[in-house]
Amino acid sequence: MQNHSSTVRQDVTRTHSVAKPLQLVSAFVLGGVIVYAAGFLNTAAVHNAAHDTRHSQGFPCH
Amino acid sequence: MLFRQIVFYALLMGLLAGAVVTIVQTVQVVPIILSAETYEGAEEPALAPFKAEGHTHGGGESEDADAWAPADGMERTLFTFISNTITAMGFALLVLVAMFATRNLTNSGNNDFNWRHGLIWGAAGYAVFWLAPAIGMPPEIPLATTAPLEDRQLWWGFAAICTAAGLAGLAFAKSPWRWVLALLVLVPHIVGAPHHEGALFAEQPPEAAAALEALAQQFVGASAIANASLWIVLGLVGVWALRRIVVSTDRSTDDEAFSSRV
Repeated sequence: MQNHSSTVRQDVTRTHSVAKPLQLVSAFVLGGVIVYAAGFLNTAAVHNAAHDTRHSQGFPCH
Repeated sequence: MLFRQIVFYALLMGLLAGAVVTIVQTVQVVPIILSAETYEGAEEPALAPFKAEGHTHGGGESEDADAWAPADGMERTLFTFISNTITAMGFALLVLVAMFATRNLTNSGNNDFNWRHGLIWGAAGYAVFWLAPAIGMPPEIPLATTAPLEDRQLWWGFAAICTAAGLAGLAFAKSPWRWVLALLVLVPHIVGAPHHEGALFAEQPPEAAAALEALAQQFVGASAIANASLWIVLGLVGVWALRRIVVSTDRSTDDEAFSSRV
């Protein structure tokens, strides 16, 4: 019982301050997803909108 | 909160870099793309439609001919600005996280980052996201006949990751490991980028192919300059952002340390 309640208390404090490494990883993953979507996503509309960016950035296009 | 701060500054960096790159591109990159597109079949729209299975332009009718594309002129430039900005925001997130995570390795804990750090980080981003992929696969203009898209995308990502890991090893690891890790930079080029057998514009008539070859060469230089401007802005503004983030996280660290002890 004692164990259980201490775990709960820890969880509560964790939600107030998410560990910094986790925040860094989240920001990094978000950046990766954005670059992937802008540069690599093979959807016609995305490709056409980002066409000149992709060519200019040297992303493989077409 | 660290995450929110990094995202906020990355959006700002992306907006600035996106604006600068769009101006540089409009002056020297886009004219080359537009000239190349004049060699596309007359029946195709200026912004050639995209086919999912990886193809080259100019092959006549295409399945996705109805797909939306921005109209040439202001609309196309606007979408290029938006996609430049979004791409730059993604790069900004990656580089800000890398800067923040390694800040104590390069700087002995003092918050005295200056513009030189910015240029070094910018150069690293340029090497990872432009130079290394471009060494294997020079930036292409429309109409080039190339290896399948998926292969090239995979190699592009592989080259970027190996170069990032190699440069990180060189900058942060201790010898002899730093030299071992630095060798990672060479791996994608030893493996080799996927290439199409034969001439770059084999599907074009000879006179068009010659003109396109000349455009393709100009394009590599234009792309190199546009990306250099992107990474100079990201590096310099990135250091400014890093200083602000470090100051405010150091201020809040005491509160967090207290709350985690409670």
